[in-house]
Amino acid sequence: MSINKFMKGAVAGWMTSHGEHSDIVMSTRIRLARNLRGYRFPIAFTADEAQKVDAQVSAALLTSDEKGYAYMKMSELPALERHVLVEKHLVSPQLTDVKRHGAVILSEDETLSIMVNEEDHIRIQCIYPGFQLENAYEHADDVDNYLENELPYAFDEDFGYLTSCPSNTGTGMRASVMMHLPALTITKQIERIIPAITRLGMIVRGSYGEGSEAPGNIYQVSNQTTLGKTEGEILSDLKNVALRLIAHERRSRELLLSKSRIALENKLFRSLGIISYARLLPSGEAARCLSDVRLGIDLGIIEDVDMSILNELMIFMQPGFLQQYAGAELTAEERDIFRADLFRERLRSEQQIEENNNEN
Amino acid sequence: MLCDNCKERPASVIFTQEGMGGSTERHLCEKCAFQTQMFHFDPNQEPLSIQQFLSHWFGGSESIQPFQQTRESMPEGPTCPDCQLTFRKFLDIGKFGCPTCYETFREQLPRVFSKLHNGHTTHVGKMPESFNERFSLKKKIEEIRLKMQEAIEMERFEDAAALRDEAKALKDRLAECGNGGEGSDVNQ
Repeated sequence: MSINKFMKGAVAGWMTSHGEHSDIVMSTRIRLARNLRGYRFPIAFTADEAQKVDAQVSAALLTSDEKGYAYMKMSELPALERHVLVEKHLVSPQLTDVKRHGAVILSEDETLSIMVNEEDHIRIQCIYPGFQLENAYEHADDVDNYLENELPYAFDEDFGYLTSCPSNTGTGMRASVMMHLPALTITKQIERIIPAITRLGMIVRGSYGEGSEAPGNIYQVSNQTTLGKTEGEILSDLKNVALRLIAHERRSRELLLSKSRIALENKLFRSLGIISYARLLPSGEAARCLSDVRLGIDLGIIEDVDMSILNELMIFMQPGFLQQYAGAELTAEERDIFRADLFRERLRSEQQIEENNNEN
Repeated sequence: MLCDNCKERPASVIFTQEGMGGSTERHLCEKCAFQTQMFHFDPNQEPLSIQQFLSHWFGGSESIQPFQQTRESMPEGPTCPDCQLTFRKFLDIGKFGCPTCYETFREQLPRVFSKLHNGHTTHVGKMPESFNERFSLKKKIEEIRLKMQEAIEMERFEDAAALRDEAKALKDRLAECGNGGEGSDVNQ
């Protein structure tokens, strides 16, 4: 299968590079945790309760006016497809444990995913490309308003929405922005910024994993507090922090460019060379090079490559996608070979589009 | 400075324990700090997990005794009738088992939430519409009650009677939408 065709079917709405500040903010995510009254939380419920929750939630959503919702039961999906859903950030790794009776309902463009029986009965998640906190929240809020009329939510006047984890109690909302911060990372400023943001009640972490390591210089910034603040306050606090980070990143980029242009160009073009010609491409190196190429595009140093390359290839370079693309199970070394193939083919297809455009 | 505990390795973590009798500070090496199970500082900057955070709850706040001892003598606390979770188990696993747990542990929760949510203990955000209506009704009834008291004190008995009827009508409406709201709240 050609890479273009494969990607056409695989690109989720949020992976395109649109939206405000999309040179730095890759995507915005809102997640609302909700539970139903009368059923124990997934950590303590029986298979029977799980099925009843699943039946109620899916019935409510699939009979709504909204067309194009797709329902998938985790236990009925092949392992590889579950893996791919995780890599696209549409479900959490936790949901895919087949013993947990998890299910997911996806909107057609995959901006909305509703997880059933994850840590909570219901997790409404909206992912939008670029920096769109308000739009993403509005979407999630609409779905929440619809569901609260259909289903008996567990809510308390003092504690708000009741969730399994006390860190979500209250609004049940986690808002996060995924940011590409190469200049702050190169200049090591990020090490000072992270503790400062943590003190403001936000969490910063590498987006692909829990540790502090941030492959591809991609960081996720999200709110920690869910109780005692309104949704609006949480969103505007996060927005302010993100805007400050954006301004810092832009200033650092300008500084890098003015102080060491040749060294920077050298680094970025070398990375473009690696992903254009490598025959073996381990994921760490791939992430680093992608970040460099994307920075090159943002700074106008690298032309003829579309900026969506970072969003897309960060997803497609993961093991599940590579195996789906290959149509077979792959060992770690085979994955590095396939990853190199995939990157070369993707960059070649960019050039072809470019040439076609020039001819016309 | 050497670690207060092993006196071998250099101290790299300052461990502050807030107790009823004030706070105590200990300088520990990473290894000892980890072994005390009261490890507040993670070199990987990973946010503290809820379990880690709550697991030294009793050790950190209820007593200035060493953690191990407190743990053994620690009471189970109230037990949730719906999922059998005890308050102690809740602190261990860092998760509620069901919505009823909130009711069961209601008295203990403000302190837990205050630690987790920057001092906040009460929800101020969005409410489901049915609760929103109940909430505003309750507030109105409370206001009318105050006005009624005032009227009685001023010996404006006719006004007081009118206010009483008004309050009753609102209470009936509250009971009505209570059927669609949370069961445990109806008898309030």
